[in-house]
Amino acid sequence: MDATITGLEESKKGFQLSDRWIQIITTVAIIGLWELLSRTGLIKPVHLPSPTRVLSTFIYITREGYPQDITIFKHIKATVWRIIQGYLLATATAIPLGLLIGSHFLLERAANPVITFARSIATISLLPLAIAWFGVGELSSILLIMYGAFWAILTNTIQGVKQVDVNFINVGRMFGATRRHIFFRVVLPSTLPRIFSGMKIGLGVSFMVIIAAEMVGTVKGLGALIQQSRLYYRTDITIVGMIFIGIFGLIISIGLDRLERVMLPWAIGLEEVKR
Amino acid sequence: MNHRRFRHALWASWLGFISLIALWEIIAALQLLDSQVFPGPVAVIEAAIKNVPLKRLLEHIGISLLRVIMGFSLGAAVGITVGIVSGWYSKLGNVLRTPIEILRPIPPLAWIPLAIIWLGLGESSKVMIIFLGSFFPIFTNTFKGMVTIEPNIIRVAQTLGVQKNKLLFKVIFPATLPDIATGFRVGWSYSFGLVVAAELIAASRGLGYMIMHARELNMIAVIMYGVILIGTINLVTDYLIQEVILKRKLKWHYLATAY
Repeated sequence: MDATITGLEESKKGFQLSDRWIQIITTVAIIGLWELLSRTGLIKPVHLPSPTRVLSTFIYITREGYPQDITIFKHIKATVWRIIQGYLLATATAIPLGLLIGSHFLLERAANPVITFARSIATISLLPLAIAWFGVGELSSILLIMYGAFWAILTNTIQGVKQVDVNFINVGRMFGATRRHIFFRVVLPSTLPRIFSGMKIGLGVSFMVIIAAEMVGTVKGLGALIQQSRLYYRTDITIVGMIFIGIFGLIISIGLDRLERVMLPWAIGLEEVKR
Repeated sequence: MNHRRFRHALWASWLGFISLIALWEIIAALQLLDSQVFPGPVAVIEAAIKNVPLKRLLEHIGISLLRVIMGFSLGAAVGITVGIVSGWYSKLGNVLRTPIEILRPIPPLAWIPLAIIWLGLGESSKVMIIFLGSFFPIFTNTFKGMVTIEPNIIRVAQTLGVQKNKLLFKVIFPATLPDIATGFRVGWSYSFGLVVAAELIAASRGLGYMIMHARELNMIAVIMYGVILIGTINLVTDYLIQEVILKRKLKWHYLATAY
């Protein structure tokens, strides 16, 4: 990312601010401007409370909680627990099914239109149906997360199996490997990177789905927090909630990238090759 | 895995699709669940015709699409512009990218409460959400396209004496188009999910409102109808963007990378 187009000519100049410093200065400037605009009353606190106000709300919300006694940690716990349950259900069903479908050509063909259609249904649009069937609450949220993550993992697993190099399988056969052996030693390891990227996408989807699902009718959870506080014009709490959601999103994306590097070193550079 | 024998096993695709619908009808016909709770495909169509007049339906579809198109065009215009500027002027780009990268991990859905506080319950708050949903992927892909251009292309152009603006608009921008196209596709299907979500939470018109309203009236068949409709519209528009617009406009790219 460092090698920009114009960078070639600019590198000749003498003193240069490093990228990192530019980022830090910009961030500080934005926060400073935000504080200034709130102080002078150009921005109303109802619309955008000042950074200092957000900070004190942050402390308040970790101690007292909002609504009464539900601290930010309880909200986070509720959200995380829902994601874990739905996500694990999706992973546990989608991977075996994907391996099965991917290794049988006709099955893959038959499943393809169904999968394409199921994927294009926005998971959020199933929320009313889930509420009508299972009521507002845990079960609905968990099943929606499962639905959202399921198709991302399934399609990637199928793609992964389909892309296994036939030569590898043939070589395995030549050396007399059994079907089981080929599956566990050849197909599965070469499919893992794709499965993992499906799991990454799936987790991202889960996260978005849960935020939306929590905004409708639940009391606990990060989505509920930002929506409830909105109803009472506590914009400061909405913003603190959004910051937590952002941090959460960041942890998910960075954490998974790191994990992938540790667990699947042979998959590094796969994305570059695809381009 | 290579199966030359069944390369065009289209019948299998149709079989899969039809058997799913048949399975759905059979399960519904078994009456294990109340037909109000689990209507079959036939019941869904019946209920749809009875409860949702065509004129209302077209109005819902129209308003949802209009919201998506407005937010998406705005997001695309700003995303491409900022992406190109950030890629071309590296220092300014660094400044511009700082707030964008800070805000990016926040899913657009999480902006809904703030959008309502800022812009009220009307159209503009929905447009803002869709703007965010399309801006981030389009910006990211445009920027990525700008900075990952094959350096030899630029060197060749420079050797031939192409400079400054001409280099940007005649060489670098066209080379970035395939990445912008990727951003468009991601942004579009993202936007479509977002408009439904925004309409579920606060709206009085649109497809999301239609299914949420059907839930209040406990008309499950209408909800199912709406869900299928939303999926179909998403599928069709995505196909149109991919096959009709992008593939035709970027034929040179797809021909070059086809294998």
